Amino acid sequence: MKSPRLGIFKFTSCDGCQLTVLNMEDEFIDLIEIFDIAYFREASDKTLKGDFDISLVEGSISTEWQTKELLDIREKTRFLITIGACATSGGLQALRNWASLSRYKKHVYPSPEIIDSLSTSTPISDHVHVDYELWGCPINKYALSETLISFIIGKKPGIPIYSLCMDCKNKGIPCLLVSMAEPCLGPITKTGCGVLCPSLGRPCYGCFGPKDGANIESLLMRFIEIGLSQKQCAMLLDKMNTYSYRKARIGRGS
Amino acid sequence: MKKIIKVDYLSRVEGEGGIVIEIKDGRIVRLHLNIFEAPRFFEAFLKGRPYSDVIDFVARICGICPVAYQMSAVHAIERIFSIEAEKPIKDLRRLLYCGEWIESHALHIYFLQGPDFYGLESAWASKEYIDMTKKGLNFKKIGNQIVSTIGGRSIHPVSVKVGGFFKMPKKKELTSMKNALQKAYEESLMGIKWSARLQFNDNSWDTEYVSLSHTDEYPMNYGHVISSKGMHVSMDKFLDNIQEYQVEYSTALHSGIKRHSTVSPYMVGPVSRLNLNHSRLPAEIKYIIKEIGISLPITNTQMGIIARSIELSYALHEAIKLINEYEETEKPFIDFAPRAGDAVWITEAPRGMLIHRYEFDDSGYVNSCSIIPPTSQNLGHIERDIYFFVQNNIDRPADFIKKECEKIIRSYDPCISCSVHCLIL
Repeated sequence: MKSPRLGIFKFTSCDGCQLTVLNMEDEFIDLIEIFDIAYFREASDKTLKGDFDISLVEGSISTEWQTKELLDIREKTRFLITIGACATSGGLQALRNWASLSRYKKHVYPSPEIIDSLSTSTPISDHVHVDYELWGCPINKYALSETLISFIIGKKPGIPIYSLCMDCKNKGIPCLLVSMAEPCLGPITKTGCGVLCPSLGRPCYGCFGPKDGANIESLLMRFIEIGLSQKQCAMLLDKMNTYSYRKARIGRGS
Repeated sequence: MKKIIKVDYLSRVEGEGGIVIEIKDGRIVRLHLNIFEAPRFFEAFLKGRPYSDVIDFVARICGICPVAYQMSAVHAIERIFSIEAEKPIKDLRRLLYCGEWIESHALHIYFLQGPDFYGLESAWASKEYIDMTKKGLNFKKIGNQIVSTIGGRSIHPVSVKVGGFFKMPKKKELTSMKNALQKAYEESLMGIKWSARLQFNDNSWDTEYVSLSHTDEYPMNYGHVISSKGMHVSMDKFLDNIQEYQVEYSTALHSGIKRHSTVSPYMVGPVSRLNLNHSRLPAEIKYIIKEIGISLPITNTQMGIIARSIELSYALHEAIKLINEYEETEKPFIDFAPRAGDAVWITEAPRGMLIHRYEFDDSGYVNSCSIIPPTSQNLGHIERDIYFFVQNNIDRPADFIKKECEKIIRSYDPCISCSVHCLIL
């Protein structure tokens, strides 16, 4: 049987999620035996040729040329999977969506006129059909291997979509919101990280994005009760998944 | 006669860039390292954010060296707040940094640059190289394990906070890694030998190597800035010593060291660090260097892989030492009150000096900041290196020049994702 062709692509991002592929470590050796890694610019000279059974896409869309390249990748791909907060949710750089781009450019670059950039940073799914989304900033490597294997054997990846609180409770960690009055995003955030922050006594800051049907307003009301300002509440949501949290708020009619 | 050499999209580097070289009548008329990585405007959206967000945000500039970003940021912030972490915290931060040096150097040596010496397109392109790939993965694994034991995960770890850590690991969590570290350390010494036997083009020229330096240790989080041409300044004074300048063959602004009326490029990274600090390596690594016959300082800028291999051994050795000495403290951080002020801090990222400057208002919110990654500082130097190489090989076929230029760029382990943070001085 011919090995399935895997492509790994990057748009606007930090490289961390595609690095997760190499961080699969022992499993990486299995990966290169199972797949033909047909495109992976960060680690291989192979040029873009042919079609892909699976494309992993990292990064958000934030320039004109990226929108064209993405369409081309979509056309060549059977299953397109986004990896990480940038590709799935626009990333930290989506904070520009709520600001003036020209002010941003001036702030960072001495000759802002030469900087090619759209006024927004948007997730891949705003531009093309996405077959599966892997959340997280960064993604979890076990979720990545589960997803790749699932697509090969034609099953649905077994990745939980409930809130972080469920796993936090399972681990027996005292609730930071209830017992310490800390503004933890756990109740409205997808699980997936392995409950990293609460394990360290630190409130969740939303790496894995909003869980479906999250009641954000209700949690923010609680944050106000424990002494946060509206502005501080907004800033808690305006991080790596700002675009998705804001959308989830609007989605519930607030 | 006109010849154009062009690499549209560099491979085996982090981030997106290309190169264009135009040769006319046996002379280079244009040479440009083209960065097309999309800008992300970190310095702009950090404005107005509280100090506590800074550490999480700047990590997201680079998935390969998030610890470096956290380290430069946390020290700058602590300087503004006039606090200094206690020794156990300093040591644990150094161990965290060792983990990142290990994983980042292993990635570059075995996956990104290694294949160049075997004429391969990737680390998995040939069965003969697979053992090297496995070695690289093993080093990477132990580096990642250090970072995730201390920071929760290896990419964008979550435990560093102003004043210390959210939580410090148990001694036994760290000691459980010692066997693997010891094995990796011994393996890494063989790696130094291997790197020294590789074939290099001679790219020696009179340049200036710049790194941090500290009296008691090989530099990571502390020290002052020194150079091979006698510079010796504090971290904040270093900014007064560099300036952007333009060269006739490039449209990009380069960063260089001001001296009298001239501005010249400088190099940061493992070669510079090693050249300026090898006296602080442990005796057994010094012995190996001598036995193999590596002469220091390294004057061929292409020999980064040797310096990186030596530093890989060093980071493993240092990690074992830090774990042996590690003691849990009762409280993982010291208390502080946010206040207004500004500060510069520099730490040694795997790729060289990472400069952060912040200015806070009196509640500890960012008024302004600038971030100068190592690759931004090296860009001018890389172009100069390529310039000399092409000038010396101007009659060789375009394909040869192209391949060799790619290798030159790769030898710097450039992080283009980082370098889009342009410098304003």
